[in-house]
Order: sequence, then C-alpha cells, then structure tokens
Amino acid sequence: MADTIPILHVENMTKRYGDKEVLKDASLSINKGELKVLIGPSGGGKSTFLQCINFLIKPDQGRIWLDGEEIFRSRKKEINRYRQKVGMIFQDFNLFDHLTALHNVQIALVQVKGMSRSQARDTAILELDRVGLTNYMHQYPAELSGGQKQRVSIARALAMDPEILLLDEPTSALDPELISEVLDVIRYVRSDGMTMIMSTHQIGFASEMADEFVFLENGSIVETGPPATILSQAQHARTREFCAKISELYGNTFG
Amino acid sequence: MRGLWVSIKLIIPSTLFGLAIGIVIGAMRVYGNYGIKKIASGYALVFRGFPLVVQLFIWYFGLPYIGIYLSPFVAAVLGFSLCSGAYHSEYVRGAFLSVKTGQMMAARALGFSKIKMVVFVTLPQAFRRALPGCGNEVIYLIKYSSLAYMITCIELTGEGKIIASDTFRYTETFIVIGAIYLVLASIASWLLHRLEYRLQLPGFEQYT
Repeated sequence: MADTIPILHVENMTKRYGDKEVLKDASLSINKGELKVLIGPSGGGKSTFLQCINFLIKPDQGRIWLDGEEIFRSRKKEINRYRQKVGMIFQDFNLFDHLTALHNVQIALVQVKGMSRSQARDTAILELDRVGLTNYMHQYPAELSGGQKQRVSIARALAMDPEILLLDEPTSALDPELISEVLDVIRYVRSDGMTMIMSTHQIGFASEMADEFVFLENGSIVETGPPATILSQAQHARTREFCAKISELYGNTFG
Repeated sequence: MRGLWVSIKLIIPSTLFGLAIGIVIGAMRVYGNYGIKKIASGYALVFRGFPLVVQLFIWYFGLPYIGIYLSPFVAAVLGFSLCSGAYHSEYVRGAFLSVKTGQMMAARALGFSKIKMVVFVTLPQAFRRALPGCGNEVIYLIKYSSLAYMITCIELTGEGKIIASDTFRYTETFIVIGAIYLVLASIASWLLHRLEYRLQLPGFEQYT
C-alpha cells in the first residue's frame, strides 16, 4: 500500500489508579484495513487500553494520532469529533434502553452528525439490514437477545461511518449459542475493509482473522506478532503459557 | 368559587416550573463539575430547609426592602416553584443515578457532548423512573398551595376562611374545602398514572 501513515498511532499510553499502573507505556500502530487483536488475561489492561484510545478513560500519559494528526484531549470539541471517527463496541452492548433498535442507530446521526431525520432513518435502516436485523428494528433492547443487542450496537457504531472500530470483548457477555451470530457480523465488517482493534478470548476466531496479536499482561505489551507466531513460537514463556491455556479452552485453528 | 380557580392557577404553573427547576438542578447535582454540584446542592439544602411559609414571607414581604415588589400571586408561584423544584431535584437526582453508566460511555463514544448525552440519553430514562416520586411532590404542592393565603393571595383556603368567619360555620366550610383538595389530588393522581402508563416502554415497566 502506498499509504505509509498508519491510520491510528498510539504512543506510550499510561494509566494509573493511585499507585497501581494499569497501563504502562502501551504503544500501537495500525494501518488502514488491518485487524489487531489484544489478548491476555482479564485485568491485564485490554479494556483500559481500548478505552484510553477514545479517551473514555483519561490516560495519564500518551499521545494519539489519527491519520497523522495528533489529537489533543484538552479540546473537548476535538475529542467529540475524534470519537465520531472511532467507533466502540462494548462487552455489555450499552444500548440506549429507552429507544428502539432503529432509534438507537439513528439518534447519534441526528444529534451528533447533524443529519436530517429522514436521512438518518434511511442510514439506520440500511445498517440494521447489514447486521440482519431488519425485522427487529422496532423492538426495544429489553425485547432483544444478547446477540441481537450486540448486532444493534455494531450497526450503531458503523452508521457513524468510523475510520476505525474498537471492540472490547464483543462476545464475552453472550451465551455460547449467540456468539457465532456476532462473530459472523464481525467477519463481514472485516471483509468490508474496516480497520479494527479488538480484545477477545475467542482465540480461534481471532487467529483466523487477525493481522497481528498483541499480548497484554499487567498493563504492559509483552509481545506482538502474527497470530501463528504468537500461538506456536512466542518469544516469552508467559505468552506461550497463556496461549496454550486459552487454545485448550476456546479452540485453536493452528492446532 | 373564585378561590378554586385561583388555586388551580397557582398549582399548574408551580408544578411545571417546579418540575423544570427540579430537572435542571437534579442534572447539575449529578453531572456538574465540583462547583456546579456544590451550588445545586446548596440550592436544594436551603429550599428544602427553610419552612415554605418563611420562604413566601421573604418573597412577598422581604423583597420590597430591596425594591422588588411582587404581586401576591407571583410571589406565591415563585415560592412554590422554587421549593417544589428543590424536592423534585432529589427524585430526579436518584433517577439519573439509576441510569446505567455503560449507556453514558456509549453516548460519549459516539461523540455526544455531555449536555446532549443528558438530554437525549439519560433524561428520557431518568424522567420515567422519577415520575412516581415527582408525582408525590405534585400532590404535596396541591395541598401546600393553601399557604398562599398567608401572603394575601386569596385562593381556596383563603376564601374558605372568609366564608367561615362570615357565617361561623367553620366545620362545614372546611370539610367542603378539604373535599375539594381531595378531588384535586385525585385528579392529579389519575393524570400522573395516565402519564406513567403513556410513557411506559419495554424494560421500564412500573406495573407488573
């Protein structure tokens, strides 16, 4: 690719709660169309890292560039504009409970992007169709299954037309039977060329899709590399140990 | 029954202004920065702490000392709205706190400003949850509107007092006055239930 500037570049992200450093000097660069997967034990800093990337958590240190332009978090308007370009999917969906699926997708288009109501509605219908929920668009979150809720939340993020999508354990709160419908949607979004950073324990799925694995433990990036390398010939003993355990649990396409 | 009409004219605007003040103060108490929170909490403390009659006296008899003259009616509506707002703010605050934080994160992640997040995401949910409590406050307001006669705004109770002292039929007069308040409160309560029912959504059921 001629495009040599990474779409998103994160440098030396650090977050402390009191004395505890939950994220230490984490850096990451991702090019357009890539998928990077954060793996590692729970509490290792994956969520914190993702939430620092769109400033939902204010990092103590760290700089971020989107399309080569640095984002200054002291400017609130700039952050709100930046967040429109960085979609986020949460583990527990976080749909707006008082709105139907359609309005969940539509509301930010109208209130944040300033689209007209009818245009926003058309976009929302299109996005819900893409995640296969046309028949559910008038349902409220309380009437949807976990898998359907997560698909609505993906549609809501994609409707904003983001440059990059952050996914924070998108399938961890789902019943086993509902995981595949969400993974199918993620696979489809990926094939559409969306740039993504995802944290997950679905190691089999991740190794089939990811360009790179990033192993995080105790707030530090221990190791990065292509999935096959990380899974079978990781440099660090700790990475090998984690991968062996998690492959046993969730299956591993590399055997 | 001119007094009844005055009472209704006191109650309706006081309810609406009170609710509006309650929502704004409640939101400030939950989402404001340190200074705003302190100001809003101070407001609630003072207006819930001062006896309502004293507040009315201050607005009606006190303000003229600094050159502000209010009619009895305006002073009463002002006093009721400010006091009612302080109580509403407490119900609204509790309701705001019950909205799951994840939804606020989702709103911020989509690029909502804090104010838009409150208006479009948390307020519609909080309002539904606050409604039973706020309704209670509205019922109170109907009855404490009777204090308006203390500042010479002759409403239902004031008129009753005049009739009673003219005829010396205190018992009969005040039983009738009390019954009229009961009817007003019943109508309000019915309307509030209707409103709760109208606003009911899947996931926000009040009646199960």
